Amino acid sequence: MHGPDVAWYLVLAGMLFVTGALGVLVRRSPLIILLSVEIMLNGANLALIAFARHYGHEDGQVFAIAVMAIAASEVVVGLGLIVAMGRRDIELDVDKLRTLRG
Amino acid sequence: MTASAWICLALPLASTAAITAAGNRISRRGAGYLSTATTFGSFAAAIAAFVRMLGETAHERAHATTSWTWLSAGPYHFGLTLLTDQLSVMMMLIVTGVGGLIIAYSIGYMDGEDEERRYFAYMSLFVFSMLLLVQSGTLLLLLAGWGMVGLSSYLLIGFHQDRPSAVAAAKKAFVMNAFGDATLVLALFLLVQHTGRLDYAGVFATSPRGGTVANLIALGLLGGAVAKSAQIPLHTWLPDAMEGPTPVSALIHAATMVTAGVYLIARTHVLFENAWFVEDLAAALGAATLLMAGLIALVQVDIKRVIAYSTMSQIGYMFVGAAAGAYPSGMFHLMTHAFFKALLFLAAGIAIHALSGEQDIRKMRGLGRTMPHTRTVFLIGCLALVGIPPFAGFFSKDSIIAATLSRGAFGDVLFACCIAGALLTGVYTFRLFFTVFTKEGDAQPHLHGKREGPFSMVAVVTVLAGLSVVGGFLQFGPVWTPLTTWLSPVAQPFAQASSWQEAAASAAAVAAGALGIWVAYAAYVKGTIRVPKALPLLERKFYWDVFYDLAFYNVADFVARRLRTVFELPLIVGSIGEIRAGFTFGAGEASRAQNGLVRSYALALAAGVAVLAVVFLTTR
Amino acid sequence: MANFIVWVVWCGAAFSCIASALAVISFRNPFFSALSLIGNLASLAVLYLLLGGEFVAAGQVLVYGGAVMVMFLFVIAYLGDRTDQAPWAGGPSWQAVGTVLAAGAILAEVLVALALTTGGHLSHEAHIGRSFGSPASVGRLFLTDHLLAFEVTSIVLLVAAVGGVVLGSHARALEDDARP
Repeated sequence: MHGPDVAWYLVLAGMLFVTGALGVLVRRSPLIILLSVEIMLNGANLALIAFARHYGHEDGQVFAIAVMAIAASEVVVGLGLIVAMGRRDIELDVDKLRTLRG
Repeated sequence: MTASAWICLALPLASTAAITAAGNRISRRGAGYLSTATTFGSFAAAIAAFVRMLGETAHERAHATTSWTWLSAGPYHFGLTLLTDQLSVMMMLIVTGVGGLIIAYSIGYMDGEDEERRYFAYMSLFVFSMLLLVQSGTLLLLLAGWGMVGLSSYLLIGFHQDRPSAVAAAKKAFVMNAFGDATLVLALFLLVQHTGRLDYAGVFATSPRGGTVANLIALGLLGGAVAKSAQIPLHTWLPDAMEGPTPVSALIHAATMVTAGVYLIARTHVLFENAWFVEDLAAALGAATLLMAGLIALVQVDIKRVIAYSTMSQIGYMFVGAAAGAYPSGMFHLMTHAFFKALLFLAAGIAIHALSGEQDIRKMRGLGRTMPHTRTVFLIGCLALVGIPPFAGFFSKDSIIAATLSRGAFGDVLFACCIAGALLTGVYTFRLFFTVFTKEGDAQPHLHGKREGPFSMVAVVTVLAGLSVVGGFLQFGPVWTPLTTWLSPVAQPFAQASSWQEAAASAAAVAAGALGIWVAYAAYVKGTIRVPKALPLLERKFYWDVFYDLAFYNVADFVARRLRTVFELPLIVGSIGEIRAGFTFGAGEASRAQNGLVRSYALALAAGVAVLAVVFLTTR
Repeated sequence: MANFIVWVVWCGAAFSCIASALAVISFRNPFFSALSLIGNLASLAVLYLLLGGEFVAAGQVLVYGGAVMVMFLFVIAYLGDRTDQAPWAGGPSWQAVGTVLAAGAILAEVLVALALTTGGHLSHEAHIGRSFGSPASVGRLFLTDHLLAFEVTSIVLLVAAVGGVVLGSHARALEDDARP
């Protein structure tokens, strides 16, 4: 069963990654930023799995599963932070969170 | 022998160190006793060295001892070398003997002073420095002692730190001495360049004879001597130095430090003999100084300043003697002058002390009645100063004047100056005596019971009076010359007066001195000669201070101000300010990157990743 | 024929992938963004299946879609209406320009990297067997070659769980701590 070459998947993964990066850089709500980070991670996953298919080893898939687990942990912590911020009525706008201004 | 030389040198230094280290733990009196004891200890060591030397033949008497090679660079070796020979032993005895007496006197004079310990520490430091100067075996060590006596002089003139006039006088003395030090150092540079060594024996053997270099070397040495001994043109610091306590004036500015210039000429006479022009110049300066100082002393109203100008004048005599070639005569006068000048200062100090600091002679009238003992010793000092036989000054001064007669036409000019100077000496000295120690007057001294002053003070002036009486008998004309014989191996005089010259000189000098006394008597006691109003020329001290102010101070001040406004403020201070402003501006601009926006930071990250990717792509 | 179907599926999945990603970053309502992400995950799962990663695809749907996104939706619901402002609003103006440039640069570099470094290699796929991507083979790799990664990942999950509990613990206790 042929399909597109691995290269196509890789291009797609790159576009996903860039889209996620764009989301991180442009959006101001921490929630959306977190979602964009997920998109970036997914893009990386896609690339990994594509290469695993190309070389015939499942190591790439193992790596992708690990990435998924890590992504889940990171989302837990990130959402915990957002919930804590929401509870204190801190405005969820990264442009307003400027205490580190030097 | 060498041990006693080292002990003599080390004791005053130990005293200074001990007094300084002890601080408040030693009593004020205790500091005085310690200082006196160590100085007399040095005197004992000097006596020991002298006695040992008596037992040796003339050729054996030079003992050089090196303890430590200080500087060793290529062919140059300079060490801590002491030379104990006839000339240095003579100076050691004078310095420690008279110095010990004066420091003992200070115990009474400075009693009750707040900073007494500091005073005695400085006095011991001075004694050490002077000993270093006279005992050194190399010109380099002499320079070290030279500088240190200048330092001690500065510290002691400015002893009363809360008096602006004292501080200013100390600075003036130091700066003028520094000028002399500079010329001395230049002379040493030339010597090293041309002979490669600075020890006396080597230098005297190998230094150039005649020619420009020899003249320059002698000129440099003369510059140092002139500054230290307050001769024209570097003399203006000495009258101002009277701001220091009276014992300081006695020790440093009469008996010892100011005579260092004469010692230098006597010690390095070989270098001066290699440069006839400079030696004659020294004699001329001495003669000019003795006349000028004598004239100025006629109008001074401060008792210490009269004696200071008298010192200047007498050192002029010593310069004339030394530069005319009669080195032993110059040194002899140095010794007797130490006795009677210290006596005069210390006796004046008793009077000043009794009158609670009054120094204006117009307000000191009448002490003859209330302080007879002081009057007597002061009279002895005055007679010795004027050169009336049998007091000490007669013998020493006359040998100098006689030596000038044996030096041809130039010597005759010097002779005339010396005789005129003797006349002036008589006038100003007895002007002082007749003004202060009269029988009737208003001064009210407060006495210490029966004695006229503290015991230490009175005892010391009595001793010095005794020395002024008998000190002259050490040498008399061509008849009896133990001193010349003693010093000849080191400083061979080349001006020997014949007997008739000696007689003529003595007669003329005594006659001039007696005439001066008579003039003073007539003017100030009998009133038969009207005292003219003081000439502005004399009152302004021949305008030397005014001249120096205009030539040096005003110029320097103007240049400094100009440099500040034109150069320093805009360029240096401004540039530092601009550098600071630049840094502040740069940091401010750079800190704009820290705007606290997470998205900006994320953008920076992304941009960095992009750049890194390019790098990885191109470099593989 | 089979090839054609594969291509069609691939195009559809790829298109929906890109579209949902763009939707995530464009919607103003975070709820819609989260839903778009779920769509993105689903498309990716399809792509994984095309690449022979069955276990990974299942995991993607179950873990990502079933756990992570549900958590997202819970939090969004908890926080209430937080409609964000327009995406490109706010911040210094140079930031917008810089963002586009950076993103474009990265994309360009990825493409260039692909073109330059791989040459013709990417056309030769390896031959795979039937058990490629099955749970058994993936699990074997986890427990033999990549055991350390496995263990470390489990610890990270533990840490995250603890962190989540701490961060989300009772509001009052935290506010007590926060008061000076």
